[in-house]
Formats: sequence, structure tokens, C-alpha cells
Amino acid sequence: MDKIDRLGWAEGITFVSYGVPVGVRVNREGMLEQFAERFPPGWKPSRARAVERLYSLIIGGVGARPGLRRFNILYGNTQKLLRTLDMDEFLTVFESDVKLHVAAGARRRIFIHAGVVGWSGQAILMPGRSFSGKTTLVAELIRAGATYYSDEYAVLDREGLVHPYPRPLSVRENGRHTKHAPEMFGGKAGKTPLRVGLVIASSYKPGARWRPQPLSPAEGALALIENAVSIQRQPETVIEVLRRALPGATILKGTRGEATEVVDYVRRKLA
Amino acid sequence: MVLPPLALAGERENLMKNMPNEFKPRARKDGLVVRELADELLVYDRERNQAHSLNETAALIWKHCDGNSTIAQLRSLLETEAGASIDEQVVWYALRKFTKSSLLEEPFKASAGERRVSRRELIQTIGLAASVPLVATIIAPNVSAAASCTQSCSSPVNCTVPGCPVCPNGGPTCAAS
Repeated sequence: MDKIDRLGWAEGITFVSYGVPVGVRVNREGMLEQFAERFPPGWKPSRARAVERLYSLIIGGVGARPGLRRFNILYGNTQKLLRTLDMDEFLTVFESDVKLHVAAGARRRIFIHAGVVGWSGQAILMPGRSFSGKTTLVAELIRAGATYYSDEYAVLDREGLVHPYPRPLSVRENGRHTKHAPEMFGGKAGKTPLRVGLVIASSYKPGARWRPQPLSPAEGALALIENAVSIQRQPETVIEVLRRALPGATILKGTRGEATEVVDYVRRKLA
Repeated sequence: MVLPPLALAGERENLMKNMPNEFKPRARKDGLVVRELADELLVYDRERNQAHSLNETAALIWKHCDGNSTIAQLRSLLETEAGASIDEQVVWYALRKFTKSSLLEEPFKASAGERRVSRRELIQTIGLAASVPLVATIIAPNVSAAASCTQSCSSPVNCTVPGCPVCPNGGPTCAAS
């Protein structure tokens, strides 16, 4: 860390999100504001002197000679996370990592990698990793009248209620992430915590027909545990929260093709 | 069942222990987080970072694996619950599942010559009397495995973000696998 400390830092901040303190420092003045837009929801500046995770952001930019560009380098503590000339990619990877760190360290909430919408006063959870089509499904449900809660993490409290994770939807287009407010899809963001009404554990396969199989609460819990960020760190908490969240919920598993087919199914199921 | 006459005392004891009818299974307790969900069980194994779901029948058998009950007694318990006659194979099947999932203190070993029944055969045997004991298992992800992969890639060398180490078929973004 000493070696990185000596690089020379222009500005920095310590903030707290979901009770997790994080430090960020940048080697160029005036850049911090741009990165603050990528901090996790609900962050607040903090006076904490010790953090578990310190991000060191080295902005490369134009080099000394014409035509020469320097790499942007991202460190998470002492680990080099990224070296790139692409500032969009730099911002995206930073955002993803800091959000994951907060998700893993949060004590009063559990984070499950999932898309979430509100429908008729209940939450629909769509657990899944990258490329499972969560955002597509969330966007399609918003178009159909759902309220937006998250396209990345389902945030559950100790009672099993699902809270909004208020970030814009991150839509992948040609390998790049574009941010869209839920209003772009004709919807709005939810504000109140909801009970889990439906869990859709689906994987995307082009041309597949949506013929879901019902899962029992324990089987459904496994589908969520598979995507729970802090399961290894705090299994008792995660399992207890799921025990409270799942009874009464419908849990479905299957392969899906187009998102519209699932949306039609949800409409019929929750009508 | 007659034991070989020349078996030494220790061997004889082992043979007795491993014979399905004499085996008294004991459910593992250490390193497990166990919660009931309706009639089912959710079990998290801290040592292996695995999560298991046990359906109603499996949960009933596992909860009664106290190290004192024989397989015949476990079967009798199932029969009482189901209100019908149940084949001992159902208990054996469950014990094999528990062994595979490391949910017993000592693994259950089938006796020589015993034919393993499949789930399909078991369903035919049980009929509607009870459900087949099921244990579903997943490996719990570590933090980086739950990451959303966002880094672009042109070759795997570029994929440096933990949890997203590969370029899938020349895809634009690094992925978990």
C-alpha cells in the first residue's frame, strides 16, 4: 500500500453506504465529482478514518508527447483491478466493484443479485448473474406497468421486506452500459418496502418457451442463495431473512425466450 | 444375516455397523446452519460452503437421525407419518443422499450385493404414500462470484476484475465462466 500511497493524491473522500465505510482517492483535482455519481445509493460523506476498502483512481489522460495517452488505473486496496484507456469502462468497473463491496459488507440488509419490480403491492424478484437478462426483463415489466425497484440487487431487510435500490437501469448496448431512468420505459421508481410475491428464477435461451416449474420455499431459497452476495460471510442472517421472506411467495423456475412471454405470464398470474 | 465366523472383533463390529439394518445414522450438527421452511429444511454447510434443501420426507428422516434409531425404526416413523406401509428402500435412498451431501456424522455404506434403486423406481414403489426424499444442493458463491461483470474484453488477459475472468466466445464483456 505504501507504494500506492506515495503516488500523490489530489483529492479524496470517505463515505458510508448501507453502513459500510469506503474510501476513494483520485490523482487529479476536480475528478471526484464525476466518480461520486457512481457511488452506491444512499451514500453519505463520513469522517471515518479507517475503511475496509480504499479505491485509488489514477487518471491517465493525455501524455507528455503528442498522440501519447496514459492508462487509467484502478486499485481496490492494493489489488490492481483495471488498466484501461477507456474512461467509460473505468467508471463502470469502479461502480460495479464499489457496489459489490458495499453489498457484501452491509450488516442490516442482505443483497441478492436480482432484478426487482413492484406489482400490485408485491415484489417480483428475478435472481440471476450477469447476462441472465435481468435488466431486459425488468424493463419489459416496467413497460407493462410494474414499479421499478432494482435491476442489480434485491435488498432485503431482516423482516424479509424488499427495499428499492434506487439506481438507473443499466442497459447493455453493443457491450457498453447506458443508464436509463425508469421513466424512459414508462414507469416510475418504487419507494416503499414490499413483501415478496413472486420469484422468477429464469435463464435466457433464444427461442425457448416459458414453461416454468413451481419450486418449494426451500428450493426457492436455494435459487436466491445462489445469488446472495454475503452468504459465505453471514449464512445465518441470509437464511433467516429468506425464511421470513419466502413463505407465501410463488417461486418459479425455467428457461425463457423473449421477455414479453414472461411478462404476459406474470400479468395472468398476478391479475 | 450371518456374519463370517472368522471375522475379528473389530471387523465384526465394522461389518455390523455398515449393515443397513444395524446402522444407526447420526445427523451432522457441527458447522451447519439449519432452518425450517414450512415442512422442509434449509441447511447451510459452513465447512463446504454448500446449501441444501431437504423436502418434507428427507427432513423428517434427517431430523430423526439421532444415532439411536435404526433404519427399521426410521421406516416405522415414516409409516406412522404417511399412514401407509413404506419400503425400507426409501430410508436407504435418503441416507445415500445425506451421505453424498455430507449431512451424516458417518457415511452410510450399502451392504455388498445391495441393488441401488433409482428415483424413478422409488416413486413407483412408494406410490402416493409419501414423497421421495429429496436433497438439492448448491455451492454458495463467494463475493466475487456474485459480481456483475462489467469489464470489456478483447482477450482473457484483459479480464482482471475478480469473479469475471473469461471472455465468452469473443463476447464484448468479461464473464464469470
